Amino acid sequence: MQLYAPTASGPKRKSFRAPALASLEGLRIGILENGKLNAEEMLREVGALFVERHGCTIRPIYSKSNASAPAPANTLVKAAQDVDFLITGLGD
Amino acid sequence: MARASPRIHEVPDDLLAAIDYCYEQGWTDGLPVVPPVVDRVDAMLARQGRPAETVIATHPATGLELSLHAAAVNAVMAGCLPEHFPVVVAAFEAMDRPDFNFHGSTASTGGSAPLLIVSGAYADDIGMNSDVNLFGPGNRANATIGRAVRLILRNVFQMIPGISDKSTQGNPGKYSFCIAERARGNPWPLLCETQGYPPGVSSVTAFAGGGFCNVENHGGNTPEQVLGSVADAMANYGCITLGQSVVILAPEHMRIVAGTGWTREDAQNFLFTHAKRSVEGMKNVGKYRDREYDSQHGGSAHALAEQGFVHRGLSPADILITMGGGDAGGHSCFIPSWSRGRGSILQHSAIGA
Repeated sequence: MQLYAPTASGPKRKSFRAPALASLEGLRIGILENGKLNAEEMLREVGALFVERHGCTIRPIYSKSNASAPAPANTLVKAAQDVDFLITGLGD
Repeated sequence: MARASPRIHEVPDDLLAAIDYCYEQGWTDGLPVVPPVVDRVDAMLARQGRPAETVIATHPATGLELSLHAAAVNAVMAGCLPEHFPVVVAAFEAMDRPDFNFHGSTASTGGSAPLLIVSGAYADDIGMNSDVNLFGPGNRANATIGRAVRLILRNVFQMIPGISDKSTQGNPGKYSFCIAERARGNPWPLLCETQGYPPGVSSVTAFAGGGFCNVENHGGNTPEQVLGSVADAMANYGCITLGQSVVILAPEHMRIVAGTGWTREDAQNFLFTHAKRSVEGMKNVGKYRDREYDSQHGGSAHALAEQGFVHRGLSPADILITMGGGDAGGHSCFIPSWSRGRGSILQHSAIGA
């Protein structure tokens, strides 16, 4: 008996990790908040730790209008130009 | 990049062993599946006028693609007949639109399930149930079309419970959540008509449903009484958000509502007006948010949005309402949207287009 696999057979998207930063000292931080309750507050607190410990600077906050959808491409393109690394996470 | 051929698994000619094999591969929803043998899949595809490799939906986060072939494999596993398949295809064409956000609504702790509402003659053509025990078991088309959607989400898009599907509790509709709109005795235009499809074209509407809320009222004899109880269900503190709503009126309730001349728009206006909670009440239960209130009462606010209150949805048009179920019983239902708001907007698509 021959069974078809019920999984996707198309090409898989290749993903790559960004290279690790050699140092955090004095870097520009981006914050991407997802609009959930307390997301911005929590991420600002995290960002403040990087400011305190590594002399980082926080750039304007980027927002997603839909917490459960990928960030719009133009948001990520702009962030990539403006910051050295990005912090994101869930609120609630 | 060239598309790989669908993978074939060779298994012994033993049906029960093949069912067990499907379990071992992690291909099931927990219930036994029909082993997707090649000739059954080919028969499923035969009615489609498009190549089997046609992509009908893409997962926005992983890029995984749903081809007609993969959809057919899962439809066979769910127990679909070939005539059921066009509904499955149309459902994913609707769900693939970004505003439906099938990734988010499937992955979320909210635990929603795609509710499918089939409207038009095609529902009768394939023997769907729009009548007694509407959301319950017993009808092959309803059960297997909804199940095929779940199997595709699991097997093609890899929305695996506990891994990429993080539903806190989920809901029973995640096995299957598919109904037909009742045309017999329905005093209002069918959904496929209001959606603008030409005569003779049926549609499927997909809605990320957060569960099922029965609305019992055997004593109300006016539209205000019947719809008042529906509105109260829509505004319960556990459910109220800015999200959309689906309301399926039982025929007994519909006779009371439409019997005095109320149109669908009248009912939507009434429900939007009355499905509300005070700002103070929302604050008391910890669910009030300035941002949401402002979006409902800002410059583009609907005229029926009352200051000082949070309504369910942004406007009466956010309430899909139609008829379904058996003749006897004052049992309608309200299906809340996924989680906290407008992360998924219902979509519809023509069947067989």
